[in-house]
Amino acid sequence: MSAKSLAAARPRFPVSRYDQRSAMLFLLPMMAVLAIVAVFPVVYSFWVSLFDLKLTRPNRVPFVWFDNYARIFHDPQFWESVTRTASFTVMSVTAIMVIATLMALLLNEEFRGRRFLSAMLLVPWAIPYVANGLMWKWIYDSGYGALNGLLYQLDFIDKYMVWLGDPDKTLALVANAFVWKEVPLAAILLLVTMKSIPADLYSAAKVDGANVWQRLVHITLPSLRPGFALVIIYETMMAVRHFDMFFILTEGGPADATHVLAWEVYVETFRKLSFGTGSALAYVMALVTFLLAFSIIRTMGKKL
Amino acid sequence: MRLSKLMRPVLLAIASVVFLGYVLAPIGWLLSSSFQSEAEITSKPPHWIPHDPTLQNFSAIFQADKKVTYETRRQGDTATGGYIPSTAKNLLPAMRNSLIVAVIVVLLNLIVSVPAAYAMAKIRFVGRSSSIYLMLVTRVIPDIALVVPFFLFIRKLGLLDNLASLVITYLAITVPFSIFILLSYFESLPDELDKAARVDGCSRLQTLLRVFLPLATPSLVAVVLFTFLTSWNEFLLALMFTQTLASQTMPIVVASFTSDFTISFSFINAAGVLAIIPPVILAIMFERYIVSGLTAGAVKG
Repeated sequence: MSAKSLAAARPRFPVSRYDQRSAMLFLLPMMAVLAIVAVFPVVYSFWVSLFDLKLTRPNRVPFVWFDNYARIFHDPQFWESVTRTASFTVMSVTAIMVIATLMALLLNEEFRGRRFLSAMLLVPWAIPYVANGLMWKWIYDSGYGALNGLLYQLDFIDKYMVWLGDPDKTLALVANAFVWKEVPLAAILLLVTMKSIPADLYSAAKVDGANVWQRLVHITLPSLRPGFALVIIYETMMAVRHFDMFFILTEGGPADATHVLAWEVYVETFRKLSFGTGSALAYVMALVTFLLAFSIIRTMGKKL
Repeated sequence: MRLSKLMRPVLLAIASVVFLGYVLAPIGWLLSSSFQSEAEITSKPPHWIPHDPTLQNFSAIFQADKKVTYETRRQGDTATGGYIPSTAKNLLPAMRNSLIVAVIVVLLNLIVSVPAAYAMAKIRFVGRSSSIYLMLVTRVIPDIALVVPFFLFIRKLGLLDNLASLVITYLAITVPFSIFILLSYFESLPDELDKAARVDGCSRLQTLLRVFLPLATPSLVAVVLFTFLTSWNEFLLALMFTQTLASQTMPIVVASFTSDFTISFSFINAAGVLAIIPPVILAIMFERYIVSGLTAGAVKG
């Protein structure tokens, strides 16, 4: 939220009674919805996480205090999934930043066809993740996929490869599919930040004899910091929680190579039907996301 | 200097080609293979452009009355063993479910977010900043963390496998973003408008409906689009709450095709093409609104 709206948010008393009442009425539907989306799940999933609730055994639900959390933290599988989530996130966010910056630099130029490019940029953003998943599954297909076909025709490989069957490559391949869909939003946000850079900065630099490269390094990139911060925070959140592509492309496999945190929550709750530990895991995940958001905002905030 | 003037168009052209290749090539491949027969799709190296384009994959989806049975499902393609599944007829009802949910969510979303955003932007009241902070916090909660409490809640209400479960939860995940878009737009409109309307004797509700709503059209379009696309594309919650065609949405049925390795990819790709057509058309038609909405929603958030 902008500083302006929060500063203005402090009401100068006295507030008119009519305004107070109509504001409350206007906010009522939203409050009801937020009670469902935020307050209720946060409280309720914490409550559930204190029980050994298994849907396979619905009649006996013992209260176990923090046993579910203890079990999670002692489970090596959990820590491995944390590591995988971290490397998926780092890979994805780095790639998104690089590609989105290049795209935004291109779209910031004036040339014929620029409008067409920016319209096409919205295509990956708009399509459903499920469609994105099946598209990449088909591209990576070991029998007849485009990746094999292309690399074979270009003579990079001499026989078709089982791309998604190789535990060393799968996480990166899923990340690639995720990046393709996330890049447009990042590029749009960076482009908006670029457009807000005052033009006289560039003309002054030109007068001083700075070349294209120097202008990029000394003006554009430093001025993009707020945009970078925004994109890093947003895309980190998205990558940490991402589930859909893992479901469609790999189902956590092969040999657990893509068994990330979100997948762990899914397996624990909906395959093992252990809602107690599933809730505890989800709770840990939500807390991690919060902490991550705050720490990124703080570290980036210092540099801004 | 002269050299760089000459180089510029060349560099821009190369960059544009790379850009378009990256963005469109995967989609192009999806499109191309959805028009290929099972026999053609399994050629090595692949046919980048169909040599013998066919509509059989699409007609299997649209001709649900032409019963696909065990005997007929291999028709035309006995050689490869790939077939069009009998579940092909599920795709259109699922798309109808998706459409119903999306439209209801859009309408309810507007009813919930417009007054809330107006109140936050223009009315001074006690608790205004805390309601804005509450909105901020809800945007950080990952949807996977909501799944367990949502599931138990929906089960308790007896709404599993019911479209209502999707409407409730999609409303919950789309409202915060909508309010952010609207809030930043209402804030950009002058306070004097509000004061003038109030002096003229408009109630708060009249001020909102007669003065602000007509001015807010661009942000309303953005809200409608985002809400529609989010509902249309949502997968995780639908996966948890739906069990049969009574409530299964498009992403669920499409995902069920991909997890069955006996189904021909030419058919799966046709389903994928149908799934992406509505959102892609909306996105290209309303590009301007989407870009401004994304910026408002994300920058402010």
